[in-house]
Amino acid sequence: MVADVVGLLEMRGLTRRYGPITALDGLTFSVQAGQVVGFLGPNGAGKTTTMRAIFGLTDLDAGEVRWNGATVDQPARRRFGYMPEERGLYPGMLVGEQVAYMGRLHGLDATKAVTATKMWLERLGVADRWASKVDVLSHGNQQRVQLAAALVHEPELIVLDEPLSGLDPGGIDDIGAVLVERASAGCCVVFSSHQLDLVEDLCESVTIIDHGKLVASGRVDDLATSGARRLVVRLDGDRDASWARGLAGVTVSEVTGGAVRLVLDESVDSDVVLRAAMAAGRVTEFSFARRRLSEVFREALA
Amino acid sequence: MKPQFIIVAAVVVFAAIRLTLRQRGRRARAGAPSSSASSSASSSMSLEARRPSVLARLFGEVGLVAQREVRERIRGRVFQIGTIIILLVVVAAIVIPTLNKSKSQPDRVGVVGALSATLKSTLNQSVVSIGDTMTIVPEADTAAADADLRAGRVDIVIVDTKQLIVKAAPSAADVSTAAQLSRVFATTLGTIAAFQAAGLSAAQVDTLGSAKPLPVTSLQPSTTHRKPSPGSIVSLILVFIMLTQYSTWILTGVAEEKSSRVVEVLLAALRPAQLLAGKVLGIGLVALTQATLIVGVALGLSSAVGSNLLHGSGPLTVLAALLWLILGYGFYCWMYAAAGSTVERQEQIQSLAFPLSIPLTVGYIVSLITASTGRPTTFLKILAYLPPTAPFAMPTLVSLGSATWWQFAISVVLSIVSTFAVARLATSVYRRAILRTGRRVRIREVMSAKQTA
Repeated sequence: MVADVVGLLEMRGLTRRYGPITALDGLTFSVQAGQVVGFLGPNGAGKTTTMRAIFGLTDLDAGEVRWNGATVDQPARRRFGYMPEERGLYPGMLVGEQVAYMGRLHGLDATKAVTATKMWLERLGVADRWASKVDVLSHGNQQRVQLAAALVHEPELIVLDEPLSGLDPGGIDDIGAVLVERASAGCCVVFSSHQLDLVEDLCESVTIIDHGKLVASGRVDDLATSGARRLVVRLDGDRDASWARGLAGVTVSEVTGGAVRLVLDESVDSDVVLRAAMAAGRVTEFSFARRRLSEVFREALA
Repeated sequence: MKPQFIIVAAVVVFAAIRLTLRQRGRRARAGAPSSSASSSASSSMSLEARRPSVLARLFGEVGLVAQREVRERIRGRVFQIGTIIILLVVVAAIVIPTLNKSKSQPDRVGVVGALSATLKSTLNQSVVSIGDTMTIVPEADTAAADADLRAGRVDIVIVDTKQLIVKAAPSAADVSTAAQLSRVFATTLGTIAAFQAAGLSAAQVDTLGSAKPLPVTSLQPSTTHRKPSPGSIVSLILVFIMLTQYSTWILTGVAEEKSSRVVEVLLAALRPAQLLAGKVLGIGLVALTQATLIVGVALGLSSAVGSNLLHGSGPLTVLAALLWLILGYGFYCWMYAAAGSTVERQEQIQSLAFPLSIPLTVGYIVSLITASTGRPTTFLKILAYLPPTAPFAMPTLVSLGSATWWQFAISVVLSIVSTFAVARLATSVYRRAILRTGRRVRIREVMSAKQTA
């Protein structure tokens, strides 16, 4: 698998302290190109600080960021694309000129910058806003322009801080599709999110951090199928899942909309659970479920 | 004295160009950015691409930043309307005095009857004494003279050396040509008539008529102060307006980039020093363009209408003002940029703009007072060597003829040296403050961050 990888982003022992607060605590992980990687963690976990460190926007107390084996420097960063969380566009500048300007700053010549800008604005469905000022656009459209500004120079590495926050489902689908397409074109795509379960469909791999430390990392499939088994059981008329609470080796992880989500210890036979359920009422659903990323996170911390 | 001023100015410009080129060369050796291309696309969107980006080619990324700055600013209403208003003021300041001033044509004196050579030369002297010259217009008779006077073809009429006729009776406070002429002519002609009545010979009358006042010697040496020139006052006001305008642009521009977080995206591709230098260069170019336009219009118009801006210390005043506008901008822009980088929200700009504007305003007001009284004080002479106030004080001294070329040169050198020092300091403050968010950054934190970061 490593053989055909063209890009490798490595964080090595990133440490950043703000006074008494440690934002990054020796964070080490790596991300390979050709896939969309979710960079997950609760608010304040250190995601933004890590992303800013990639672009040299924060001073590190220790550690370094490497791209393809070399310490990231200014010329390397010009081949990266960045979409910060607190969006960064000139409010009074025209959309098209703004995106083209970002392209120029990243080394495109004037003609290429205009061509690429047209292409990306079209791709993201905001081509008709070329001559609009940024501050008259809707939040969703500003986000699309922001993404165009991050992608216009065809970066090798794309880093996006909470790109999906505040978007409607259409926007999430559009931006998600672009990210997946970029990854399959060979780019390294890293995006952060604090909503762990929202991004499962979007990313192939995830890196989960908390308090500036790595919690879990790996392919979504591997993480979802590893760990204890999960059962989803739905009983007619059952609202509190009291029937399951006494079962040995069974933990109730959540009750939503009449369905109970159970985590089974290795020793537990699922037939025992089924019998207990049937004794409590009419069973309308009984299925094994994948482990969610939020569960991965919670269980890794436990 | 004048050529030396011009030489100093030329040396400064030459040195600046050399420095820039050398820096460019260093960057080019370090790995130049890709060349810019000519476009083939023909839609309106590719206008940008077709325009050859001279700045981008000259200065790389810094040029790109500057180019954006120039384009956005020149497009802005503030610049366009501001330039028009300034041009109107300049046009008015040049044209209006030439309308009021008794045209440089000689005063026309209508004469009925004969005028002796002695009387003619005596009258001539009296006209010179009020700062004019005169021509004699012979009139056939009083009626013809009246008609010419009414039609404005002559300013005053002398009838047989016995009578003076003007169009309207002048009041004592009237300083118009006709009033002044009537006063001096009345005195002169009356005195000459009295001499003749006393039976003096023609030669004696001539001697008495051309009597000169005694020279007066004072115990204290006379201080040479010139008449304040309106050109120096107008250029002072313009330098003040433009310095304030452009340094405020730097302040708000830097603060806007920080508060809108654009700076995060920009600094992912640029070094802070590049972004700052591009901004300073871009806004500086806009300022220089505007100033050049104003000076061009002022000089062109002056030569067209024959304004006194082109006489005496006028051109020197204008050139000195232009040079000091550039030096002043160079000095102040860094300070304003550093201040802007500490801002967290737009409304904090106000509280920063005021203290920054104090030295600017002091220099301006002291110079303005000096320019209007024409007496340079010691205080002003000190201010002329301090880089924050020199942009106003030194051109004022120049326009009053109270600065020698080497004093001028010392002040220029002091300003350039301190600009480099301020630029270094400001860049370091900017680099540390621009990415700090959450609250306003204190200058002391930024300075001490050197050790901890």
